Amino acid sequence: MAPLQAIRIQLAGQRRLAGVLGWLVLLSGLSSLVISLHAGPMLLSALSPGDLAMVLKAVAVLGLLLIPISGVISVTSQFAFWRGWLGGLPQPADIFSEPAAATPEAAATRCTIVYLDGIHQSERDHPPRVAAFLALMESRLPSHVRLFKGLETYTVTTARLADDAGGSWFWRRLFALQEHHPNPWVGLICAVLVQANNVIKVGISSDRRYGPILNYELALKVAQRLAEQGFQPGHAPDGRPQELVLLGYSGGGEMALGMAEYLRRICHCPVRSMTFCGVFSGNQLLEQVGEIAMIVGDRDPVAAFGRIAYPGRSPLLPLSNWNKAVKRGQVRRHCINGLSHNGLSGPFSDRNRNAVIAAITGGL
Amino acid sequence: MIEQALDQLARWLMQADAGLGLVALVGLSMSLSHLFALVANRLTPRQIVSQLILDALVLSLALVLASLINMLLLRAFAGAAINPGELLAKLGPSLIPGLFYCFVAAPYISDLIASVIWALIHLNMITLLHMHFNVSYGQALLLATPGFVLALLLVIAVFHQGWQRAYRQLASTLAPTAES
Repeated sequence: MAPLQAIRIQLAGQRRLAGVLGWLVLLSGLSSLVISLHAGPMLLSALSPGDLAMVLKAVAVLGLLLIPISGVISVTSQFAFWRGWLGGLPQPADIFSEPAAATPEAAATRCTIVYLDGIHQSERDHPPRVAAFLALMESRLPSHVRLFKGLETYTVTTARLADDAGGSWFWRRLFALQEHHPNPWVGLICAVLVQANNVIKVGISSDRRYGPILNYELALKVAQRLAEQGFQPGHAPDGRPQELVLLGYSGGGEMALGMAEYLRRICHCPVRSMTFCGVFSGNQLLEQVGEIAMIVGDRDPVAAFGRIAYPGRSPLLPLSNWNKAVKRGQVRRHCINGLSHNGLSGPFSDRNRNAVIAAITGGL
Repeated sequence: MIEQALDQLARWLMQADAGLGLVALVGLSMSLSHLFALVANRLTPRQIVSQLILDALVLSLALVLASLINMLLLRAFAGAAINPGELLAKLGPSLIPGLFYCFVAAPYISDLIASVIWALIHLNMITLLHMHFNVSYGQALLLATPGFVLALLLVIAVFHQGWQRAYRQLASTLAPTAES
């Protein structure tokens, strides 16, 4: 059998497996919902406590198996891209070899902010509240600073989630289901699955085994998109040094810190990272990266959970990459009172967005 | 209460007697958990398969060595003379959680999964020693721990060496193309 054909068969098998698993999760969730909503008291009373305990145990075991399986499937598609099986893995040297025609705006730019969205992202376009926040921030940026948004943070190719290799079969059907059945339950299940998928990507980026490859692939993608926008490595046309600032919200903070070092090497320019309400491991290569600015809220439980979930950020491990960066004075922390992770007191809310934007622009 | 629960666990494990075949399967599962380190280095499918089988054999050998340590300690301190094959048949089921070691490939939660599996294996070994050789749980803990530690160290050594080598190769792949 020809190697290419074998690879195609293998990938098709992986897609089918991912699809079957996805449908299993979806169907079991939907059937549980239907039973709990429509089952009469007779049916529920027919289940003895022993039966219920058995059902709960089965659900727990299924959950325990599904979590690592979905993680492994996610890693598989990422490695297929790395191996070149899916095509499109560019060589760093080729990205800036053919400069795009620079617009006057690009020519005047000395600092480019790359926005990386949180784990809710499934499309290139940001949700309305995030888009409004970014538009307001853009209007307040100095003339030499440009904002680059609409980047797919959680896919390694330049594709939205529904077109991402490995999982497109599942995601397209899921989003079609959401479109044809616009009820809150289906919407909730879709949102949960999208966020679970993106949380896994954050986990891959934090993993010491898989992180380097995912972060490198993401850095290549960002460099590619920057090149398309007229970004040229090195110095701006006026001779001053170019600078990249990676701005990550929530899980986007992990992706920002993860790819910073690779982007610095590929784009040959200084790279800084900035997170707001960021959830990140701090496991990454941080030594050569510029300042890391953290904008945090005093009412943000999710970002606080990140400090527990990632032991490398604990002061108990002074030799971790993060604690070494703190010791070098590389980390700057800016706390905003009353800021939570999302919702009415989140960073995109009318109440807090001015404070967050001021903290971001003040740090440029 | 705890002793009753452990007795129950031991009876269940004794029913699942599988012996040496289980050791080989656990070795293979452990080897599969680091499959992506091989894929990362762009080895050919043939190289990946041969490396997986080799790792599985080395890891199985580590588990067999740990059983031999248990056998020697049993003979020395509990006076139980038993041949290696019989010992593996009796204590092999303690490795059943290791069949799920391939899930250590899952991102980020891998250390947690590995820790839980190793803890379960140790617990199983203690309960089986108690049931088969009529030693107290305290003695079983003392008898099982040296072999367990040896197996753990050998597995860590195999993975560390393999992963470090893979990581160095990956770094050298990325460095010439990406370094400024």
